[in-house]
Amino acid sequence: MQRTVQLPSLSVTALSLCSLIALGSSAAQAADEKLVISVYGFAQDAFSEIVYKPFEEQCQCELVVETGNSVERLAKLEARKDDPEIDMAVMSTHDALSANRKGVTQAIDVSRLSNFDKLYDIAKDPLGDHLGIGYTFYATSIVYRSDKVSIDSWQDLFKDELKGRVAFPNVTTNQGPPALYMLGKAMGDDDASLEAPIKQVAEHRDDIVTFYERSSQVAQLMQQEEILAAPVGRFAWGAYTKMDMPLAWATPTEGQTGGMNVMVLTKGAKHEDLAYQFMDFWLSTGIQTQLAEALVDSPANAEVIVSDEVAGNLTYGAETVSSLKLMAPDVILDNRDQWLESWNDKVAQ
Amino acid sequence: MFENKFVGMALVLPGVLFAALVFLLPVGYLLAEGFQSADGWSFSPYIEFFSSERNRTVFLRTLKLGAMVTVVSTIIGYAAAWSIVSLKPTSRGRLIGLVILPLMISPVARTYAWIVILGRTGIVNQALMTIGLSDEPIRFLFTETAVFIGLLQLFLPLMILSLSSAMENMPADAVAAARVLGANPLQVFWKVILPLTREGLVIGGTLVFTGSLTAFITPAILGGSKVLMLETLLYQRVTVANDIASASVIAMILIVMSFCANQLLKRVATARGAK
Repeated sequence: MQRTVQLPSLSVTALSLCSLIALGSSAAQAADEKLVISVYGFAQDAFSEIVYKPFEEQCQCELVVETGNSVERLAKLEARKDDPEIDMAVMSTHDALSANRKGVTQAIDVSRLSNFDKLYDIAKDPLGDHLGIGYTFYATSIVYRSDKVSIDSWQDLFKDELKGRVAFPNVTTNQGPPALYMLGKAMGDDDASLEAPIKQVAEHRDDIVTFYERSSQVAQLMQQEEILAAPVGRFAWGAYTKMDMPLAWATPTEGQTGGMNVMVLTKGAKHEDLAYQFMDFWLSTGIQTQLAEALVDSPANAEVIVSDEVAGNLTYGAETVSSLKLMAPDVILDNRDQWLESWNDKVAQ
Repeated sequence: MFENKFVGMALVLPGVLFAALVFLLPVGYLLAEGFQSADGWSFSPYIEFFSSERNRTVFLRTLKLGAMVTVVSTIIGYAAAWSIVSLKPTSRGRLIGLVILPLMISPVARTYAWIVILGRTGIVNQALMTIGLSDEPIRFLFTETAVFIGLLQLFLPLMILSLSSAMENMPADAVAAARVLGANPLQVFWKVILPLTREGLVIGGTLVFTGSLTAFITPAILGGSKVLMLETLLYQRVTVANDIASASVIAMILIVMSFCANQLLKRVATARGAK
């Protein structure tokens, strides 16, 4: 029976005592058949139907699902470093790298994943040393009103027709740094400090309606004709297709950027075998296909085949995937605080 | 009230313990983080915070908006409360009900309504263009003006309720007596109404000012990161940078600001009463 819980903190002593009492009993057997995972709160109903319940039936075990944002997840993993209760987790590439640097995750033995070879190359080892396995990714480009403007470059966000009609992702969002990176690329500046694009955004601050925090906010502003263009993640594209508006997805000359989410294995995971089974199950062609068809996640499994209609709402296909200009996770992690400071000093004053 | 004082203490003990365990202890622990530096206890995190021009800008903006919302809600609140207490009890109850009504609606819904009202295609812009005051839509959203309007709408009911309650407790003939003695309306307010309603003003002012300082949803939705305020900065420090020490400093600043506002309002009201 799958459960979603917020486990209270227990002392090591209490846990040890409980373990001793349970030794040799049937309860111990049941405890061994329990897998604890930590995931995003997004689309949990769909995940439950497509991933969790079928896996429980297959493994004859109990799946405990904890949900929360990356900060909560990292804090929890760090707090329980010496006695981990979470066996596997999913997070962005840079958060996964941060988790590994804090010593809470371990390398994944990919030989234990039968579906590993089916993954796109960029998903196989995005962090190096197999510290994480990509299970989904998304493109980030510019959604715009095709009846009012045309977008051929990231620099087009600052053209005259769009003055006062553009939203831009805040640097605190997952879309912010990649969008700034592409602005920089369009200026011919690849520097990881993002100083040049942040300076440019600051210069055009008054021409930008808002620096959004959530993709849903952009859809609303587009609906109200408050904005005509904004950089967004492809995972939000479905909402725009439902609008009765001439909206288009830009393919700028500099290319599209994006992001990737990875699975990580907790260091000292108590149910390592089950964690490997679960990861392999999630990466399988059947499950990745179902998640894609439900428009939950773009597939990292290259064998997934979906209809054109479904593909249009996802980041799908070898060509699309290979064209993504993703920021390296260590670059994001090592520069994140400095970007925030620079942004707040120049843009958010 | 209780024959045995221990009975009273025993009754209050669970509440005190609960508050201490779930509020005072964690908050105290959190705030203590703000006084930690590499050398141990120190004020350096605060000095560091205020040495940043951006932080000073955010601090002053938060203070300014909080003060403006409090002052404007006081002016509107006195007028509204005076009108309410001047009515017959039945009508008074209806009006109080209308004042309370917005408090029953989620602040998120109330704030989102302003996006529709203040947007390019919203009724404010439509009206301005219809009557010829503007040729094109004016941008209201994501400005300090929008945040001010949102906060005022959010907390004005609290001020009206506090002042109405205080005015209902005023001696019925106090204002009439002042008028008979030759006081003009301004003098009546300054020398009679204000001193007699100072408790309501202090409570209402503290609620409005503190609420304006600590409201997160409204500044986040109507101001976004273009109108960064202390509470949105605090959120950033926790969720993005995972910097609990900086967040503790901001939390302490907010608490001190609220406390100072409360003391200031008390002094203003007491000073009026003494003259």
